[in-house]
Amino acid sequence: MSSGNQHAINQAQSPSTEIQSNDTIMDVFVCGARKGWKVAIDNIIPNVLMAFVCIQILNVTGALAWCGKIFAPVMAIWGLPGEAIMVILGALLSMGGAVGVAMSLFGAGSLNGNDITILMPAIYLLGSKIQYLGRLLGTAGIPGRHYPVLLGISFVNAAIAMFIMKIIVMMH
Amino acid sequence: MVNLKKKALNVPISGYIALIIALVIFSGLLAKVSGWNMLDFNTLNGKFGLMSSAKATFTGIGGAGARSGFLFALSLAPGVMLALGLMEIVEHYGGLKAAQKLLTPILRPILGIPGICCVALVSSLQSTDAGAGMTKALRTNKDITGNELLIFTAFQFTAGGLIGNYLASGSALFMYMTVPISVPLAVMFVMKIFGANMMRVYCKMFVQEEE
Repeated sequence: MSSGNQHAINQAQSPSTEIQSNDTIMDVFVCGARKGWKVAIDNIIPNVLMAFVCIQILNVTGALAWCGKIFAPVMAIWGLPGEAIMVILGALLSMGGAVGVAMSLFGAGSLNGNDITILMPAIYLLGSKIQYLGRLLGTAGIPGRHYPVLLGISFVNAAIAMFIMKIIVMMH
Repeated sequence: MVNLKKKALNVPISGYIALIIALVIFSGLLAKVSGWNMLDFNTLNGKFGLMSSAKATFTGIGGAGARSGFLFALSLAPGVMLALGLMEIVEHYGGLKAAQKLLTPILRPILGIPGICCVALVSSLQSTDAGAGMTKALRTNKDITGNELLIFTAFQFTAGGLIGNYLASGSALFMYMTVPISVPLAVMFVMKIFGANMMRVYCKMFVQEEE
């Protein structure tokens, strides 16, 4: 057995995310790709699956169409259909979930490519806010009285970013 | 904490090269240049093939619910693996250190925080948790004041872990976007800076500086 094969087998047996100093550029890439696989399995698949199930529930109960009607005037400010509010709400819970919601709505024909382009920055600017209260503000030791301001800044950022994207999309 | 101070000093030339190549790959700059599009993220990510006489990839058309979500999420895995593999190379060859060095002199004017925050800032673009931990350490060591902590946290709180998250989950939507993938990224980065400056104004007007 060649040493290359042996190396491959060793790697398969003990997948490591630690890089050694003598690793080649391919080894470094594989190490990062392995981290990507873990992210896909641990974060993306469960979050996206959750989002698709939520959309399915909203869909079969008719709540999605109802939300679309209720929020149509608000989302129309950015030239988006009312259903786009679900992407925004999904983003507050998790970024991956919001991406799943956007994909699901795209598949259902509720959103088009331009809508997704406009929503893209909002997904991340508002993304995972609920989690980040603990993971970021809690960890960094921010006093609770500043939380509303920090949340407000995120909403203002998302609103402005969608206007900017709208202009870019129109010019493109 | 000593590490945070020293890390940004020595940047090998490979760091700048890795940083430039990463910017080119993720900006989509060479997407339409034949041959050179080997340095384009979407080109490298490629596409799923179609089964003969089929109109959709293995994710199918008209699916719904958990099964559809699972197959769709599975189709994202290659993009995430590619993105994180490339980022690992950039980090390994000093690309992040190069970014830190380039950012240090501009932190005070554009964000109102000291250059020592640079390592934490670049890390926070990769991982929210890494950034949060380092930021806490900076405050504990009194390297930043209470108000600087608020401004820096405002920067991190909106679009947290921007590059890491955008390349991981966002890659699923790249193919549907009608602009290059770098455009929303640039807009978000500008808005992060804008948000931090809103906090800067808020601090100046309403928050008593502790020290």
